[in-house]
Amino acid sequence: MPAMQSKTPVEIADRVSRRRAGGVAAATAVFLLVQVVAHPFFVGAPDTAHRAKLDMWAINAGVLLLLLATGGGLLLNRQVRVLVNDEVSRSHYRTAVGVGYWVAMVTAMGLYVLSGFKSVTGREAVYLIVTSSVAVALLAFSYLEYRAHRSA
Amino acid sequence: MHERLNNRLREERARLNLTQADLATLVGVSRKTINTVENGVFIPSTVLALRLARALGTSVESLFQLPE
Repeated sequence: MPAMQSKTPVEIADRVSRRRAGGVAAATAVFLLVQVVAHPFFVGAPDTAHRAKLDMWAINAGVLLLLLATGGGLLLNRQVRVLVNDEVSRSHYRTAVGVGYWVAMVTAMGLYVLSGFKSVTGREAVYLIVTSSVAVALLAFSYLEYRAHRSA
Repeated sequence: MHERLNNRLREERARLNLTQADLATLVGVSRKTINTVENGVFIPSTVLALRLARALGTSVESLFQLPE
């Protein structure tokens, strides 16, 4: 059995940060794919299965929001977590949240216009605004993190 | 914020034979941060600029310059 190589906190943080960039993008892609496949709001009658899809969407969106808010890595030791979420990542987080905010505003304004032609329920509006803004914010964060690592 | 800031981080790091990871450890940031500052992708905060200058034994003014 090969000897365990002891890695410094900076090396561990580097590896974790790279994995996070890919993981966030993958989680967001799965989230969006599930929305396309399951159509939790726009297909099917409001039965038990339909309700389960809505609950699953809410849980998924909540988990992704938590990931965006904390930067993940809650189980890492404090030193590594601080390095993973250092100044550059916090800057990326702020940019991503800003992008998500503007996507939410544009989606909301689009729904306002749409509601003049088609009935839009409050739940449908929340679903579209949250799904689009959370997904775009996470993809923006992932891209910024990936770009920061790419030129390393 | 899209201002530009020239820096001599890579030269100063090379002068002391430090890798990006070495400097990151000295300053207490990730290697990604050192890399993005070196490449001008990220403009550091005043605190980080001071810590970088201290770690490299130089002044902030000699490490970072506004473009002419």
